[in-house]
Order: sequence, then structure tokens, then C-alpha cells
Amino acid sequence: MRRLASWLPEWASPWAAAGFVVVLVALYALPLVVVLDPYTHGILTQTFMFVAAALAWNWLGGYVGQISFGHAAMFGVGGFVTARLLLSTDLPFFAAWVVGGLVAGVYGLLWGHPTLRLRGPYFAIATIGVGEATRLVATFWSSFTGGSSGISLPIPSGDFKQALYWYALYFMAAVVLLSYYLRKSRIGLGLLAIKGDVDAAGDVGVSATFYQDVVLVLSGIVVGISGGFYASFFSFIEPSDMFGFERSISLVLMGVIGGIGTILGAALGAVVYVILQENLIASYPDLYLGLYGLLLVAVILFEPLGLSGLLMRGARLVGYRPGAGVAAGGIGGAAATEATGGAPEEEPTLEEARP
Amino acid sequence: MEEVTRLTVSSLLLAGLYAVMAYGLGLIYGVLRVVNLAHAGMIMGGAYLTWVLHGRLGIDPYLSIPVVMGAFFVFGVVLYKGLVRFLPRGAAGGGQSLLLLFGVWLLMRNAAYLLFSGNDQAVRTGYSTQGLRLLGVSVSVNRVAVFVIALIALGALHFFLTRTYLGKAIRAVAQNPDSCLLVGIDVERVYALTFGIGSALGGLAGLLLSTIFAFNPSSGAVELLKSFVVVVLGGLGSVVGIALGALVLAFAESFSILVLPSFLTAAVGFVLLVIVLVLRPGGLFGQRVLG
Amino acid sequence: MVKSFLRSLSLWVFAVALALAACAPTQEEGDAEGGGGEVPDEVLIGATLPLTGEEADPGNFYKEGYELAFELENEDGGLEIGGETVPVELKLLDDTSDQATAVNLAERLVNRDQVDFLLGTYSTTLVEAQSTVGEQNQIPYVNGGGAATAIYQRGYKWIFGSLAPIELLARTQMEWISDQQEAGKIQDPVTIALLWENTSHGEDYRKGVQDFADESGGSFEVVLDESFELAGKDYSALLSKVRSADADLFLADAHLPDFITMHRQYVTAGLCHDVITYGARGVEKDAAKALGQENVNAIASAVWWNGQLGEQGGPNEEFINAFKEKYGSDPEWYQAMGYEAARALFHAIESAGSVDREEVRQALVDLQMESIVPEGELTFPEETGYQAQYPFVVQQNLPDGSSPIIFPEELATAEGLAPNPNCKS
Repeated sequence: MRRLASWLPEWASPWAAAGFVVVLVALYALPLVVVLDPYTHGILTQTFMFVAAALAWNWLGGYVGQISFGHAAMFGVGGFVTARLLLSTDLPFFAAWVVGGLVAGVYGLLWGHPTLRLRGPYFAIATIGVGEATRLVATFWSSFTGGSSGISLPIPSGDFKQALYWYALYFMAAVVLLSYYLRKSRIGLGLLAIKGDVDAAGDVGVSATFYQDVVLVLSGIVVGISGGFYASFFSFIEPSDMFGFERSISLVLMGVIGGIGTILGAALGAVVYVILQENLIASYPDLYLGLYGLLLVAVILFEPLGLSGLLMRGARLVGYRPGAGVAAGGIGGAAATEATGGAPEEEPTLEEARP
Repeated sequence: MEEVTRLTVSSLLLAGLYAVMAYGLGLIYGVLRVVNLAHAGMIMGGAYLTWVLHGRLGIDPYLSIPVVMGAFFVFGVVLYKGLVRFLPRGAAGGGQSLLLLFGVWLLMRNAAYLLFSGNDQAVRTGYSTQGLRLLGVSVSVNRVAVFVIALIALGALHFFLTRTYLGKAIRAVAQNPDSCLLVGIDVERVYALTFGIGSALGGLAGLLLSTIFAFNPSSGAVELLKSFVVVVLGGLGSVVGIALGALVLAFAESFSILVLPSFLTAAVGFVLLVIVLVLRPGGLFGQRVLG
Repeated sequence: MVKSFLRSLSLWVFAVALALAACAPTQEEGDAEGGGGEVPDEVLIGATLPLTGEEADPGNFYKEGYELAFELENEDGGLEIGGETVPVELKLLDDTSDQATAVNLAERLVNRDQVDFLLGTYSTTLVEAQSTVGEQNQIPYVNGGGAATAIYQRGYKWIFGSLAPIELLARTQMEWISDQQEAGKIQDPVTIALLWENTSHGEDYRKGVQDFADESGGSFEVVLDESFELAGKDYSALLSKVRSADADLFLADAHLPDFITMHRQYVTAGLCHDVITYGARGVEKDAAKALGQENVNAIASAVWWNGQLGEQGGPNEEFINAFKEKYGSDPEWYQAMGYEAARALFHAIESAGSVDREEVRQALVDLQMESIVPEGELTFPEETGYQAQYPFVVQQNLPDGSSPIIFPEELATAEGLAPNPNCKS
């Protein structure tokens, strides 16, 4: 273990690295070892994609503490740019995803740069406005999005759909690594400082504007690539589904229910979300909204670190002590200092934090 | 020219409704520093309560105002005592209360869905389709009634906040809860009361909406966003500011149809929201705390 | 003390919620062997419908139509395949009006439940998304719920639609108006205010009206052309524009709730036009209740199917009687089109004489079925991407509360009102 540790960058914990590699190898080999029917195969593929998107939402919502209700805007932009590129150019599909992601990142910067100066609820409200305005414009702009008729891509071969499983896995793995990097590197410390107290962060030389812009662009790129992937997977996309408020909400729910600010949390949140969506909705369609509401209320009141907080608690019962950095999540800034995962103390004032 | 008159009259009437919608949200934020996303649920719930009272018991929507407002006042107080009280308050009305009340909204939507199904409903009275002429423009009786009731409600609220002991206590708490504790004001009680009043206004807005528009369990989202726009435009809490904010939004939405395709007029409010938040976070008409 | 109690409570909430999710019955019953040229013991047909969510109302109407068709078929033993009668079973799931769910569930039906064929869901966007599963798995997919031409113009080979396109709906209405012009009842040339919801439904309607106006050589002029958002609330600014446009005819395309909201505002704004239509809406009982009979009078609408077609006997009479017996109410076009989509698939399976997907697809391509649609024959022409084509019927609300068919002439049960007698100017 120690020898392995010496190869790793200083911010990576050897145990986490080992766990990551094991899970990755297991997921890589799964369809090769077990015969998965195309339905299960597809659900796993979608789960990987949602894990990536939820992690990217979490960079902004969890690391910086800026809760976005407007990430569907980037998801949609990525999806439609990808679809247009695939239809009108000979670009290979993964290149189209990347271009779609980049355009989504730029679009994120376009509205994010001015609005990220706002803190807390002001930013959250502004993102609702951005998301809805984008949806309306996208629906109206039919030469680009096909309007409410949407865009159909050519039906891919069965082999391609199978292959998407591994692409999604690679994508997710890359996003997990990036999440660790963002958390543990100097950037991560800067973000934590901003989350704790913007002004104090500024005093010690952390430029809130620059750091937040960088995170939003990265987040936008990943969410945009997810959107492009979604387009390739479903071969039909349509604005009210891609840009809808429900889509933004789903990312918020994944992040918060899983455990805001933690890597494990966002990933768990996405997995649970897909499980609920696939099993519960089909059986109790009348109750799913309320269940999400209940989970949300329970998380906020009792377990700000969500599912990952519960796991951590279980781990402590058997004697494992997580490092301080692992529990740097929570919705409020001060939660970072409290490794027990209890209710965060009072947040920095929002009023003063605005320019 | 005639079109301008017509649009002016309809925006004026709309502004009254917007002001009532927004005031509940602004009041709660102004005093508790909590962004009440469940406001959308209150609006939706108010509409359904009105619909039930009218459909099952035959009570005219305008006569059920005290019942609806009373019911939502109690609901708001219970919500405060049961949930919101436990969250960090003061200036920290940030992520947690926002997300918690968002969860409450989801629960309310689900409850309405189970009780009334997802179908659109509308309150139909004998005068639903009656019109009358105002400045040479024919407008619906309901819209005029809604406007008048909104004016009365805002006037009453203004009187309450500036002239009564309780109202003054609310304003004092909004400005400085700590020194209120020192002079013996029961701050907890004031918070509960404020949350109740804010919710009652949400219920009233729902009632007024139900007489003009159709609604379903997901209704309230658009109204919530418009309320944000008005609060952001008008600044927090001042009745005059809110009224001005409501006017700006109503006029911007109505008149944009002259230059924009009608489909895009719905986006005007959202764009306005973002621009004002970024350029003038204190509101177009300055930031005053209640009064 | 309290806090630790709350903590353990929260643990339970999570645990129960997750257990619920994990243990939830996963709609898995009935398993049948699919494919193969031999005669199976049972034919399993899969479908999803929006039984909850935004489209829950029409979704449940289609369910009635599907279930009636299956029941009637099984009453006489089932499908006749290769000289034997084989029972046919429907496996219906709820897609909650959500696109991704509709696609995933269809995938599940095909790959996990091994259904032999698919019936479609309701609403254009859901069908458009879900039909990709039929195409990818090369399994016949017959739907009665997607009318937009966009679905059928993608070159798909396995998707069949029994709803005639909305463009034809608009065209039928325009033909009726054109007839009234010839009869001198409506002026020529005439101006049109055209409003359409921003959905593919609305886009097709707009195209139908525009194309007809362009071909008319100046008899029709569209002076206002505006789209509006689905489930919008406040149409007063839009209607103000309608008034300023000062057109003779008011042609709109809207869903039921939007029709009621918009028309109420139309009436209170004191508007009136020689012809008023909201596309397929207008005769619904809900509308007359919400708006008052005097305010829905003279509204014309065009639909795929009308119960009065039963007066001509044949399969229509059979359907209507069976429906009344099972549900105790009159069917609307939703149930009729669900029923007819299922019947078209049955018909194709029987004439293919097998459950082989390729053979049944060919039978659908060649289908010529005596049908309940106007003009009595259902086909899926190749040149329209296997979307059925047949004329619509125009109906109009009369002051006595009835809504007879007024066009085309050979099916009409009463004469229409044109121009609208309620406008006094």
C-alpha cells in the first residue's frame, strides 16, 4: 500500500484510490462476465452519465456552496449542439460530445460570470430565471432545436448502444478523478474558503470571481457532455425535456439527497435517483414527488450530509475515522469544520457577501 | 392607440394580483431571511381550497377569503413551529431553508395530486364570463374584483405594519432581532406570526388566481418566479416598492407583445429578474426593510 | 436527547425509503416466448401509456380503448393464427408522461418481458421518443396517439400511426370554410387570425392553414400568425393583438385546458369572429360547463372520429355498443383511436398468420382494414411514412347543445352555421 501511495499525487488517499480502481475494474468487466439484458445495460449506462452530471453540479453546489436550479440550461445546450453536429458534420460522436460540452461551458460562463457574484438564495433564484428563459428561447428557436418537435438522430446500431456503456464509464471515471482533484488540490482549498466566507477568502488572496468562474465552466462542460451523451443514447431530444425545470431539479435532488459537497454523496445520490426513478415510479407513480420531498426535508433537518453522512456514521460505528477533508460537505459553509456531520452552524451572512 | 389603452388597463389590473403574490414572499424574507419556495405550494393550495369551498359547499370565491386566509395562516404557523424554526435564521436564510421549503413544496404538490388528480381545474361562477367596460376597454368582472381586493389587502397590510403594535414589532424584528429580545419582544412569536401572514397572503393570491385562471398541482411555479421578480424589482418589504415592482413587471410583460413574438413574452420576466439581480441587487427602488 | 432521537429517526426514514425502492414490485409478470414462425400459446403485446402526470387524462382514455379491443378479441378465443385461436394479452405500464421513462420501459418490455409487439403511448413527443425503441429492436410499433408528421418523416420502417396528420385537420376545416365562401355565406377574400400552441401539434396545424391559404390564390390571407406556450395562463395581451389585427376568422389550435382558459378571456374581451375554431377542441362537455352554452355556440372543431359515425352502422356501431356496455358512457375519439390501433395490429397478426416480426410488419404495410375512421378504411401508406391518411369530420356546437357533423357533406348530419350568428356588429 505504501509503495502504491508513493506513485500517487499527494492529495490522493491510497485507500480511496484502491477502492476506485476496484470499482472501476468491476464495472468494466461486468457486461463481459455476466449476460446483461439490454434494458439493465441501458439503465447502468444512464446511471454512469447521471453520476457524472451530479458530481459536476456538486462542484458548484457543494464545493462552492452556490446552489444552481438552472443546470438544465447547460445540459440542453450540450445535447442540442451535439445533435446538430452529429447531423450536419462527420465529426466522430465523442468529439461532438466534447464540442457540445465546451459550448455549454461557455454558455455557463456567459450567465455565470455576472450572477456568481450573488450569494446564497440570490444566486439560486437567478439560476431559476436563467434556466426558464433558456428553455423558452430554445423552444422558440426552432431552426436550432427543432422547436417543440425536437431533433431525431439516426437510430444507432445495437453494438453502438452497447459500447456507450464503456464510454459512460470512462466519462464517469474521469469526472470522479477531477472531483478529487478539485477537492484536494489548492483549488479545492480556495473553494472551501469561498464557501466559508467570501470576504475573508478575498483577504487572503483567493479571487472568488476567478475560482467560481473556473468551477462553473468545468461544471458546465461536464453537464453539457452528459447532455450530448443523453442525445446519443436516446436518439431523440426535445427542448421541454432537455431544458425543463424538472431536469434542473433532478440534479439538485441527487446532490442534496446523496450528500452535498462530498464525492461519494453525489455519486450515491445519482444511483439512488435512478433506482427510485426506475422501480418506484413504475410501481407508485403517484408518490414519487412526495418521496423526494420527504427525503429532502429529512436530509436538511437531520443529516446534512445525506446518504454519504449515513454511511460515514455507519463506518464510525465499526471504528473507521474519516479524515477531515472527507466530511467537508454540507450545505452551510461551516459544516466543513465539523467532521461529525452534524447540523452546520450559522452560515456567513448573505447580505454582506454581495457586492 | 386603442391597443395601448387596452394593454395599459390589463397591465394595471394584473399588477394588483402580482403585488399580492409577491408580498407574502417578500415579508417572510424581509423578517426571517428565509426564501420560502413553499410559497408556490401556498398559491396552489389556496386555489384548490377555493375550488373545494365553491364546488362542494357552494361558497362564492370572494366570500371564502377569510376562510382561505385563516387556513393558510394556521398552516404557515404550524410550518414554522414544526420545521422552519429548527434552521439557522437571522441573516443565514441560505441553502438549508431554501432546500427544506423546496421539499415542503414537493410534498404539497404530491398531496394535491393525490387528492385532486393532475387535471386542470377552474372555479366557475355565474359571472365568470361577464365583462364590463373600463376606459372604453372591455375587461372581465373578475379581473376588476381581483384588483380591488388586492388593493384592499395591500392597504390593510400597510396599516397593520405601520400603525399597530404587532406590526411595529414585526418591523423592529426585521431590523434587529437581538435588540428586540432585549426590550422584551417575543421574537419567536413574531417569526411565527410573520410566517403565518406571509402564508395567508400566498393563500389569498391562490384564491384570486383561481377566479381568473385554470390551475393544477404544479401551478404556482410560474407565480413564484414572478413573485421573485417583483420582490427583486421592488426591494424588500415596502408596500410601495412591491406595488411599483408589480407595475413594472406587468407593464413589461404586456407591452413586450408589441415587439416580441407572443411566445417569448413569458421569458421577459425571467430576463428582467436576472438583469435586475445582477445590476441592482438592492432592488430598483432601493432596499428598505418594511414600512 | 431529542437530537439523538431525531437522528435515529432520520436513519429509519432513509432505510425505509431505500427498502421501499428496492422491494417495490417491478411490474414483472407474465412471460412469453417471443418470435419464431410457429404458433405460440399466447401473444403478448406491450404498451406504455401516461396513466399519471400531465397527460394522465387522455392516457386513461387510451387505456379504455386498448382494454376493450383486447377483451373483444379474447371473447371469441383470441387471434386466429395458422388455423388455431391464440389468446392475446396486454402488458401495460405507466410511463408517467416522461420521455426517458417511456423509452426505458419500452426497452424493458422488449428485452426483459419479451413482448411480441408494441402498441404506442399517447402524445406526440412521447411517441416520437419511444418509437426509437421499436425501430432499434426491429419490432412492429403501432400507435394511435402520435399525430405529428415529424414522427413519420424519419424514414423509420417499424412505426405505424393510426392518427391522420394534424395538417389534414387544418385542411379539412379550410375546405369547409372554402365551401362556405362558394355558397356566399363567408366573404371572399377573407382574413385570418392564426394562433397555435408551440408544439409539433400546433406547428402542423399552422402549416395546414398556411399551405391552404397559399394555394387558394388570394381567397385567404393570414394577417396574424402567433404561437403561444402550452399551459399558458394569461392570453389578454395576445387577444389584444387579435383585436388589433381585426381579422374575419379566428383559427386557433390548443389543448383542452388552454382552449377553455383562452376562450373565457376571448369572451370577456368581447371578441367575435365569423368562424371560431380551436382545432380539435370545442365539443367537450367540460367546456360548455365552464363557459356556458351560449359562449361555446358556433365553435367549429375537426376530429378524427365522432360518435355519430355510428349512425352509419358497420364497425362503428359495434364499437360504440361494446364500449357503452363495458364502461357505461359514450366513447370520444381518444378511446376510439386507441381501440383502432390495437385492432389494426390484431388484423395484421392474423393476416400474417404468424408472430414473426418481419411478416407482421409486411402485413401492416399491406393493411387494408374495414375501420371506424371516416370513409371506413384504414391503411398505412408507405409514402407518408406509414401514417394513416383519412379525412377528418368537422363538427359544430349548435344552440340546442348538440354538436352534429357538418362536413364533409356525405357524412354530415346537420347544416353548419356560417357566419357565426352571435356576432352583431
